[in-house]
Amino acid sequence: MNKIKIFSILLIVLGTFACTDLTEEPVGVLAPEGFFKTPADVEAALFGAYGHMASERYWGRKFSLTLMLRSDMVDIGNRGTPSRRRHINDFQSDAFNGMTTAFWPNSYQNISAANAAIAGAESLENIDEETRNALIAEARFVRAFLYFNLVRLFGDIPYIGEAVTDPESLNSISKTPKAEVYTNIKDDLEFAKQHLPITQGSNARPKKASAYAMLADVHLTLEEWQNAYDNAKWVIQNAGASDIALEQDYQVLFDASKHDGQKEHLWVIDFMGQVNGGGGDGDDLLGPLTGVRGTDMQGWGVGVPSMAVYETWDDRDYRKSVAMLDEALKDGVMIPYTEFSNEKRPHIAKFTRFPGVADQNNRYTDHNYAIYRYADVLLMAAEAGNEVGVSMSELEGYVNQVRERARWTPDGPNDFPENVSGLSKDAFRDMVLEERRLELSFEAKRWWDISRRKLGNEVFKGPNSLEPHDNFNDNQYLLALPQDELDRNPNLLPQNPGYN
Amino acid sequence: MKKNYECMGFNLKRSLFKLLIAMKFTLLLFLLTTAQVFGTAYSQSTRLSVNLQNASTVDIFETIEDQSEFKFLYNNDLLDNKTHHNVNFSEQTVEEILDVVLNETGNKYVVLENNLIVISPAEDANQQGTISGKVTDEDGEPLMGATVVIKGTTNGAVSGADGTYAIGNVPEGDVVLIVSFIGYMQQEITAVGGVADIVLKEDIVGLDEVVVVGYGSVKKSDLTGSVSQVKSEDLVAFPSLSVSEALQGRAAGVQVQANNGEPGSSMKVRIRGGTSINSSSDPLYVVDGFPGGVLPPPEDIESIEVLKDASATAIYGSRGANGVIMVTTKRGTTGKTKIELNASYSVQNEINRIDLLDKDQFTDYVTEVDPNILDGTLIGPGTDWQEEVFRTGGIQNYQLSFSGGTEDVKYYLSGIVYDQKGVIINSNYKRYSITSNIDLKASEKFNIGLNMFARRTIQDGVRTQEGSSGTTGSGIISAVTTGEPTLPVYDEDGNYAISWLGDPNDNPVAIANERANEQVQDRIQTNFFGEYAFIPELKLRVTLGANINNARTGNYVSTKLNAGKNVGGDGSVSGSKYTALINENYLTYAKDFGDHDLSVMGGYSYQSTRSESWSGRGQTFLTDAFLWWDLDGSSNWLSPASGLVETELASFYGRAIYKLFDRYLFTINARYDGSSRFAKNQKWAFFPSGAFAWNIADESFMDGLETLSQLKLRTSYGLTGNQAIGPYQSLAKFGTVHSIQNTAVVNAVRPTAVANDNLTWETTAQLDIGVDVGLFDQRIYLVADYYQQKTTDLLFSLPLPEYSGYSSMLKNIGSIENKGFEFTLSTVNLDGEFRWTSDLNFSTNKNKVLELPDGNDVFYGTYPGHMVGIQSTNVLREGQPVGAFYGYVYDGVYQEGETILEGNFDQFAGGEKYKDIDGIKDDNGDLTGQPDGKLSGDDRTIIGDPNPDFIWGFNNTFSYKGFDLNIFLIGSQGNDLYSYTLMELETLRGISNSTTEALNRWKPGNTDTDIPKASLDRGYHSSSRWVFDGSYLRIKNIALGYNLPTSAVSKIGLSNVRIYVSGQNLLTATKYRGYDPEVNYRSGGGASGNLNAGLDYGSYPNAKSYTMGLKITF
Repeated sequence: MNKIKIFSILLIVLGTFACTDLTEEPVGVLAPEGFFKTPADVEAALFGAYGHMASERYWGRKFSLTLMLRSDMVDIGNRGTPSRRRHINDFQSDAFNGMTTAFWPNSYQNISAANAAIAGAESLENIDEETRNALIAEARFVRAFLYFNLVRLFGDIPYIGEAVTDPESLNSISKTPKAEVYTNIKDDLEFAKQHLPITQGSNARPKKASAYAMLADVHLTLEEWQNAYDNAKWVIQNAGASDIALEQDYQVLFDASKHDGQKEHLWVIDFMGQVNGGGGDGDDLLGPLTGVRGTDMQGWGVGVPSMAVYETWDDRDYRKSVAMLDEALKDGVMIPYTEFSNEKRPHIAKFTRFPGVADQNNRYTDHNYAIYRYADVLLMAAEAGNEVGVSMSELEGYVNQVRERARWTPDGPNDFPENVSGLSKDAFRDMVLEERRLELSFEAKRWWDISRRKLGNEVFKGPNSLEPHDNFNDNQYLLALPQDELDRNPNLLPQNPGYN
Repeated sequence: MKKNYECMGFNLKRSLFKLLIAMKFTLLLFLLTTAQVFGTAYSQSTRLSVNLQNASTVDIFETIEDQSEFKFLYNNDLLDNKTHHNVNFSEQTVEEILDVVLNETGNKYVVLENNLIVISPAEDANQQGTISGKVTDEDGEPLMGATVVIKGTTNGAVSGADGTYAIGNVPEGDVVLIVSFIGYMQQEITAVGGVADIVLKEDIVGLDEVVVVGYGSVKKSDLTGSVSQVKSEDLVAFPSLSVSEALQGRAAGVQVQANNGEPGSSMKVRIRGGTSINSSSDPLYVVDGFPGGVLPPPEDIESIEVLKDASATAIYGSRGANGVIMVTTKRGTTGKTKIELNASYSVQNEINRIDLLDKDQFTDYVTEVDPNILDGTLIGPGTDWQEEVFRTGGIQNYQLSFSGGTEDVKYYLSGIVYDQKGVIINSNYKRYSITSNIDLKASEKFNIGLNMFARRTIQDGVRTQEGSSGTTGSGIISAVTTGEPTLPVYDEDGNYAISWLGDPNDNPVAIANERANEQVQDRIQTNFFGEYAFIPELKLRVTLGANINNARTGNYVSTKLNAGKNVGGDGSVSGSKYTALINENYLTYAKDFGDHDLSVMGGYSYQSTRSESWSGRGQTFLTDAFLWWDLDGSSNWLSPASGLVETELASFYGRAIYKLFDRYLFTINARYDGSSRFAKNQKWAFFPSGAFAWNIADESFMDGLETLSQLKLRTSYGLTGNQAIGPYQSLAKFGTVHSIQNTAVVNAVRPTAVANDNLTWETTAQLDIGVDVGLFDQRIYLVADYYQQKTTDLLFSLPLPEYSGYSSMLKNIGSIENKGFEFTLSTVNLDGEFRWTSDLNFSTNKNKVLELPDGNDVFYGTYPGHMVGIQSTNVLREGQPVGAFYGYVYDGVYQEGETILEGNFDQFAGGEKYKDIDGIKDDNGDLTGQPDGKLSGDDRTIIGDPNPDFIWGFNNTFSYKGFDLNIFLIGSQGNDLYSYTLMELETLRGISNSTTEALNRWKPGNTDTDIPKASLDRGYHSSSRWVFDGSYLRIKNIALGYNLPTSAVSKIGLSNVRIYVSGQNLLTATKYRGYDPEVNYRSGGGASGNLNAGLDYGSYPNAKSYTMGLKITF
């Protein structure tokens, strides 16, 4: 055997294996540097924000359920449910609440995606300004939405307006005053109004009217009535051009199989049946949370309206039969709510009746959840217009459009609810808020109305309360800032009042 | 060494590797055909032709060796090389040739059974002649290679493959022979009449025994580090799925726990505690020199060395911090082919059952919670779910091995079939493997060898230990325990009955039958080596290895289960392909300079891994029958996924051992590792260690102490690392987001990780002080060690301000400490015909978190996802051990009239009572430890520690004549466990079955109890009520064996027959009421292994077994 030969082969082997510089060149991992090259890359970051909002941490459960439970329309059914949900519902939540600590980081992750998209759009070369601005407008719209929710729930908050590459540089920033946050939100939406397209291929992406609608909402919240009215009015006037209209059948609004391309939707958070990603993305749990326990739908009976919500709602209102169910199938047999094994109350039906493709307990649905729909805009216009003295006939017209649609049923039109007319300014205001409560029932809108109109002491106390909570006080309009954030950055102190 | 050093040569890597694979197979075939089995009458039947002119005697011998299997053994002095022959033999036997040739030289010869021909000088008047005989062990097995020397001379011989030896030139009269063999006790025997058969006894703790360490081996007496050795016979004491299982209780400082009792599931192995919090603390496995190699079955393993201290592990640098387990597989030895057949059959049952409520007790309990709860439900004859789901399982284990070889070619070939039927219906595991080791002496200076291991495993799994079940994902065990005993298996329509109480869960039989989960893995591991001796003292060894794992997992949820019902069946299949390549090159120089003995080793290694993975999933199938094999036939196509991860590790390493006066031993080890996993500013890491040992017993001043056969002091200190950073963890990343636009999934990303250019390895500094004491010729042998480890630069996911959009960043922050004592005591209690030996090992480990990011507690929850609302169950806190349990202190139940604490969860008599222990804050907002009169989150505290005070293993072997009895006990003392199983059953919410503890629940007539009233309003709360003493003592194995007398078996042509019966896990003494105190929920290796310790939920129970076995040696 030729030893020299063998030995040289070994040496060559040694040499070739020694050839390495140990640099990681990941495949399938996206590096941020140089990521943004085309408008599609910016869209990918935008879609990242959308997808991460269509998440268990946000609209799929933690955030939307928080808003629902906070209101007087949705109560805790199964009291054995985790205390974080009971505490939110019962105004006992604190700085450790597991709902808050889930959607707080999620909100900022989505803001981060929007900021990345803005930076990405700004960095693109060889692109026309219109396309660039449309992308930036879309990202700023998303950012405005996320901050609008945060500022309404927490008051003063850290405001991050730029893409972050060194998170530790933010370790000791202070909160941005609420007013400044609102200014930024309005700036974003003004920009979005200007640069978003008049129509979009998908309701999951905002169009001009979406920005107008949200801006109307922002002004409404700040009681800047004229601005609120003007922005809502723009949507109404441009409804045709924007491809917006009321849907004839109220039920269709809650039929997930008919959601895509829905004309009443101005902007939605879009889920798709049975597909989902990591970390809760694509996981819609509003169905099981509101579904009936012990029946074929295998719900968990967590968010169940109080009996009063059902009893005070006029049976003649078609919307009631769409929004709630008072019977359910058990082993294929329809049983009334009085025979439900656990929460013997009517339940919310909006998310369980037509979930489209979904899991057997109505999880992972096909729903598109409307953040703004046209009926909402009509009622915002009516409410704001009333405060600034717009002609009553115009405002009644807005409300009556909503009511007329509510009268439509598959069996022919009802005669309820009747058109409104001849109300005083105060009565009109109350009427609109009630109309919003029912028209937008269980759609995570009611808490915002209670909080901006400071209705808490009225709706949670006293004989007419749908869901009495005697412990309600004005501090409850804000939630506690998450304690771990305060611990990491004491400059965020003080905690919101009432939570120390 | 910076990253830009130049490549040598050109890049051959890929093509060369292919070539090597091809070479390996050819070589294997070649070696197998050459290594023939020899006949006994070989010398008679073999005809040789020798035609030489002017040849020396040696030339003739060599010609014969070339033509045949004969080997000559002779002393050069005997042969007169000046004698030259002219010979011409044709077709003659070796005897015929030698008779002629040796007649001329005046020498004699003997042809031994193994074709060894021993040449001895012709008798003369002063000499008696030869002494011959056979050397065997106590079982009658021949020992090859034993040295037999006439006392006071250098005259001697080495025994052949059949154990025979012959010494020529023996003086007259009786002579004393000294017989020695590594691993056996040296013996002196008087030879009478030229014949002496010798039986050697195994040396229990042979000082000359060789211990495998990284890149070499050392004599046990020269060891400076802390190394435990486990021998083959202990590893195969009973049928084990894996080496890790067989290691349990065998070595001090090594803690082995089952992760789940499911056939085929992994074990959790910790050497001297967990050195990490967020990274894996699994040890490094080195199989025949292949770091990260896959472990062959226990039957193919010769020995295992567990390297524990830094002196031993630092040679593995950035992978050494968790200890190293060196596995040496069996190899062939010179001699005729040894064929061995091992067969065993075990019958298995679940180790224990939980006392659950029966149908009537259950009915009574749930109707107490809600009197109407049973309305409208049919109560049938009831079902004992444990009876439905558990079955008698079993293990069949067969091994057939061939080993043997010649001076030049040695081989070991073994095939094993392991077939386990689990104790839960529909759970099975099969393993087929082939181990083949070939050694080839290519020339005097050049040795090559090939280790090859191929294995297929098939795991037919069932769902247990579920992370989160909800109504669609229940595992079998949790469904068994929670399932209503009133429910039938099938309803009137023949469908699986579904739980009607609480959540509509599937029943356990349905889960077992309708959820298919099959994993098939094919492993091929090859390691090719060449060793070249430039001079006897200087050797180069080069190895090339590859480890390939192809795996496929298929899952199918049928339409008969909740999870499959509305989606028309749910199938998925995933595949992966893992390839690890390694090249090691090292030089060894060893020379004895009299008083100075030096050995130096240095080398370079390169290792790379590549992991590919892909998967697909679909729902809605026309039929359940096709399982996951028809995804394209599904109408709902779901989430494809694929990925690729690559890593590289390049290393320089070296060791120097210096021995002075045979008493003072110095060792220095170092490794310089460059890893692709490290961040760009920190690619290379250096890990040195040093050790000193002093053989005091060899000092002259100890001469008087004859009883003391060994006294050695050892001490070592060094640094090792843990590079268990996931690949790409130091890089900034955009993560992909699942996002929808209308009906389509769209490409979406968001920033998910920021770069950490300084991310680096965790470093463990370890001090070890040890002493080895041997008394009465090692009949009593004690090894004691104290160690102290401090791990710094712990990898920590440092929480970032969440408003930054990032949740955390991997940083090197924090430290942790492990320290403890280890004792191993081996004794020969009785020696003689009745022999009793004991091995006791005992270890303690104290684990303590020294430093956390900013000193903040880190809270986390370990509960199953569907047991919602429990919040934190564990805490990481400075000064406390990793994995500490956290919650309220349970204080029994509130009695009627007692004032109930504000904030207590149950505000009624019979409710759970928790202690108010804290709540008042000082000016800084810190808790003061003063009760505040109400129950709040501030009253939670550390309620348990999953780490044992000590663990131990005690092995006793008794032998008498052909019989042997082995009793092996293991135990763990002082560890707490946290039982989610009992929490789910005994919270008493009336939504599932409970244990019989529920019979003692608080009721108006039964108030003297600490079990609360049943109440639907009760939530799950983390409290000391669920923390149990997890201490246990277990009879791990009792085995009785009998070796048939050699005289009897040899008549039927066998050399040894052994039969045995044994029992495993027959008895476990514990206070825990769950299935088994050996619990490990969500702790299967990986990063969460240390955080999730001592948890129990829905585990597949371990089994108790009764085994019958047979071992036949041909």
